[in-house]
Parts: sequence; structure tokens; C-alpha cells
Amino acid sequence: MTADPSRANPVITRGMVLTVLALAGVAAVMMLAVRYTPIEVNQGLAQKIFYIHVPSAVVAIWLAVPMTGLASILYLWLHDPRLDRFAAASAEVASVFCLVVLTTGPIWGKPIWGTWWTWDGRLTLTLFLFFLLLGYQTLRAAIREPLERGRFSAVLGIMGLVLIPFIHLSVYLWRGLHPKPVVLKPSEPSLPPEMLHTLLIGFAVFTVLYIGFVTLRYGIQLAQDLREAADAA
Amino acid sequence: MPPDNGHYLVAAYIVAGVIYLGYTVSLMVRGSRARK
Repeated sequence: MTADPSRANPVITRGMVLTVLALAGVAAVMMLAVRYTPIEVNQGLAQKIFYIHVPSAVVAIWLAVPMTGLASILYLWLHDPRLDRFAAASAEVASVFCLVVLTTGPIWGKPIWGTWWTWDGRLTLTLFLFFLLLGYQTLRAAIREPLERGRFSAVLGIMGLVLIPFIHLSVYLWRGLHPKPVVLKPSEPSLPPEMLHTLLIGFAVFTVLYIGFVTLRYGIQLAQDLREAADAA
Repeated sequence: MPPDNGHYLVAAYIVAGVIYLGYTVSLMVRGSRARK
């Protein structure tokens, strides 16, 4: 197969289109949250942060980090560079979603809990996950040799996956301020229909945003890898 | 009567918007360079 960098162009274009569509969707979710959903009596307008915070958290914790971990496991087994490229793209995107979770959470927490931050199990473990994702990217930037970089970063990617059950169960294992799940739980969702519909649309839109970001990031890395291969040939 | 805390909502939406838009711009710039 030839190492022609232009092979990455369709992937990059697809990623750009998906990202732009998803960003329009995010704006629509914000509008829906402000205009369509009812104002929660006890929390007021600040409760509407929920429609950005929760889908971002669900995509980071239930999609981006698990996909990074699974691609890392498969990479260690199959040594396919596409898996390493995908894991790296997914980890970078996961860190962006995590950053949104870790900034919108305290802005919601301040008016409701009376504090920006508390060392609650859920918050602390999410912060650890964010640091782990930053470490993943630092490690990748520090190692030049592709096989070694892929192997070492895969181990960190799997460690992120291991953290996920603890983050999910943290609200049950330790007493803290963070509320228990209202949708992702064994019983029916405990939300009024307008809130539930907006939240479900949010899950769909943020999932498309994740796919758009990862496709674009993957395409960029693919172009770089192909260029390096072409230069080496 | 719900509490008057709409400014926290505005702040959270601005912060989330800046992070997502900032990352999008970063990817778009890198993507455009990679395509050339």
C-alpha cells in the first residue's frame, strides 16, 4: 500500500462535517434546555446546567474512555496501528469532555451545594481520570518510537478503563454530595418527560460530537503517519 | 419561588461553549494543515 498523505483527506472532511453538525446540535440542546424544559423549583435555572454536564460526563465515562481502553487492549493483542491511532484520538477527546464535566460541575455545585468543590468520591475519581488522560497524552508526546509509544500508552488507556466502574459506583460506595444517577439506573428514569427528552437528545448530540472529534483527530494523525512514511521511503 | 441563580447557568454554558469551540477550532486548523 502506498503512503500517500492525501488518503487521510476524506476522513478529515468527514470529521469536520460531523463536528460542525454536532456543534449546531449542542446549540440546539442549550436552546431546548432554556426554553422547553421546566424550571426546577428547588434548584432554579442552575439546574439546567444538567443538560450539558450530564451528557458530557456520560460520553466521557461511558463512551470515550471505554473505547480508548478497548482499542488499547486490542492494540496490545493485534499490534494494528489503526487501533493505537484510534485510542490516542479517543483519549484526547475524552480529556476535552472530562474538562467540561470538571468545570460545569463546580459551577452547578456552588449555588446548589454552597461550595465549588468537595473531595467527594465521584468528583475526586473524575479528577484522577482527567489527570490520567493528560498523562496519556504527555507520554505519547514524549516517546518517538511508534511501537514503544503504542505499547506504553495502551497500558495507561487500560488503566482509564479500570477506573470507570469505581467512578460509576462511587455514589453508592461512599457517602458524598454528588447525586445518584437519575437515568442510568436499574429502575425507570425519575425525570419529567420534558427533562428526559432534552437529556436524551443531549446524549445523541454529544455522541455525534464525540464521533466527529474522534474522526477528525484520527484523520489528522493518519495524515501525519502517512507523511512520515512517505518521507522515510 | 425558585432561587435566582441564572448567572451560573450562563457561566456554565459559556465555559462549555468555549471549551468545545476552542477544541473544534484547534482540530479544524490542524485538519486544514494536514490536508495540504
